[in-house]
This record gives sequence, C-alpha cells and structure tokens, in this order.
Amino acid sequence: MRKCARFAAIFLSGLCVAGNLFAADLRPVKEPAKIAAVFPRAAQLRLVNVWALWCAPCVAEMPDLRAIDETFGAEVAMAGISLDDMLPDASPKPVASFLDKHKIAFPNVYYTGNPDALGDYLKFDGEIPITIVYDGAGKELWRHQGRINRDQTIAQLRSLLRRKR
Amino acid sequence: MKKSLFMIMLLAASVACADEQVSIGANAPAFSLVNAVDGKTVAFQPADGNLKVVVFTCNQCPYAKAFEPRIIEIAKRFEARGVRFYAVNPNDDARFDIETLANMKARATEKEYPFPYLKDGDSATARAYGARVTPHVFVVDGTGVVRYRGYVDDSAKPEDRKTTGLTDALNSLLTGRDVANNDTRAFGCTIKWKS
Repeated sequence: MRKCARFAAIFLSGLCVAGNLFAADLRPVKEPAKIAAVFPRAAQLRLVNVWALWCAPCVAEMPDLRAIDETFGAEVAMAGISLDDMLPDASPKPVASFLDKHKIAFPNVYYTGNPDALGDYLKFDGEIPITIVYDGAGKELWRHQGRINRDQTIAQLRSLLRRKR
Repeated sequence: MKKSLFMIMLLAASVACADEQVSIGANAPAFSLVNAVDGKTVAFQPADGNLKVVVFTCNQCPYAKAFEPRIIEIAKRFEARGVRFYAVNPNDDARFDIETLANMKARATEKEYPFPYLKDGDSATARAYGARVTPHVFVVDGTGVVRYRGYVDDSAKPEDRKTTGLTDALNSLLTGRDVANNDTRAFGCTIKWKS
C-alpha cells in the first residue's frame, strides 16, 4: 500500500514537471480604463510595466521583473501590459508561452485597443519598455523609461514603501 | 578664438539637447549620409523647395517592418506629387550585424524601396532630430521647417487605423493647409544608439 502511494506521488510530480503546469495570468483588455482592474486592491504600491515580445530590452528585463515580484509581498502589486497585439497577425499564444517560460506570476494584460489611447491613459510617449509605479489611490510616484535595473528598482520601491509607512 | 569658443558652445548645446525632438516650426537639421543601395552620399538640404519625409527605420524592429509596406505605398503615392522620401537607419551596426550597409542594401533591394536607405552610422542624425524609436517620421516643408512629427498611422493594423498621421500631413501641406494633427505619438522599437 505504502509502495503504491510512493509510486503515485512520484508519477504525479513527474506529470507536473513534464506538463509544465504553470499557467500565466494573461487577460485581454481593449479599454485602457479597465487595466486598473487587474490589480489587487489592497496593495500599497502598484507597478505597471509596458512591454512586447518584439521589444528586445522588454524581453531582457522580464527576469528582473520576476525577481522584483518575488522580493515584495502583497504590498507591491505588479501587472504587465503586452503591446504585442499592435503587430498584424498577432496572437496571445506566444505571449502566454513566454510568460509561462519565465514563470511570471503577476497578471498581464494582452492589450488589444488603440496604442494611442493607451499612451494617453498612461501618459507615455510610445517608447517601451516603460515602468510606472502608483500608490494605492492611483497617484503616480515614479516612472522609468527603458530597461530597468533590478537592484535600483527594488531600492526605489523600498524607499517608496518606507515613505508610505 | 571667439569663433572657436562659439562653436564649442554650440556643439555642447546640441549634445545637451540631443534627446529633444526637433520642434514643429523649427528648422530641420541638414545631413549627408551614405545610401546603402548604391554607396553614394545623399545630401539632405532642408530648404530645397521640396516637401520631404524623413523616416527613421531599421532592419531588425518587427514594428518598423510591419510599417514598411505602408511607408513604401505612401512614398510611391506621394512621390508622384513631388514629395521626396528619405529612410534613415540610425542603429548601431557594430553591435547589430543586421544593420550593416550590406544588410540594409539587401533589404532595400528585396523590398524595392522607392527611396534611398541611408546609414546614420554614428546615430548623429537621429539625435539631431530627436528621433526615439523606429519608425519615427518627420515631415519637412520646402523652406526647411518641420511641419509634422510622430507616427505613420496610429495603428499597424489597417482595420484598427483611426488616424493616418503622415498621409493627412502630406495631403494638408500639398493643398496649402496647416497640419491639424502635427505632433503624434511614435510607437516602436528603441533606437539602438551608437555609443
């Protein structure tokens, strides 16, 4: 009986590894105003990262974003906004696969609306990646254009959290 | 001595302002760059009497490539009305082999560019214009004044297109009108600056 249980446990863990059961949270959104809904309400800080698979520095900084997400608990809520749909014949599938591969646990928006409308909403000039930090009430506290530095961003978030306490 | 000091100050000012987009209504910077297609130097004279389009683009950016057929189509349509197009590649070819003159020539030939494809080898022209991304468009009138800057269209998908920034600007200028929407948001890949 014990032998059977051990076999079942090994078989199931093998299935998990082979099947890569991690599934990214990727949500299609067309209206920029609906992006805020992907954040947990309780967070003290909200970090938004705008990116795309066609943007080399965006792809390069994804492991840094994952590390930042893992550094902070619920006090910093993160969300990504993928602009991959800007390309003709785009599909969310490669975006989801990329997020799965990098085990990105924070939610991501697959933005299907007009790029200009998003630029107006986030007040950015169209160059990605861009990372913006807001407080829980939606007030912008910090933004960084271009690839982030992992340690500097963590230090910045810690500093912002200290100011909130 | 005074002249040298003035030149140094001018150079310092131009370096300090390198990231600012050239303003609407300002004089466009002149440039002389090599055309990857035939190896000849092309001199862009802003006040040459012609309406001109300067497009910063490149070989590697998927978003720039998505706009490539559209830029070719617009160029063919408007060149018949006297508008001159200049495609400028400001990406660092030392770091990215795909941006070399040889690869630029291959792309321009394959896609049958109806305009010169110029190598901005030190990214100085892109800095002078304040271009940020590829594709990034500037329209210069016959007197050398910048009349439009920003995107080609607001979407690379024809079905999602709401405003056709470059086309509207050219149509307005060719009929003697001001450009209503003269400053638009250029999305695209960050320029791979030559450091």
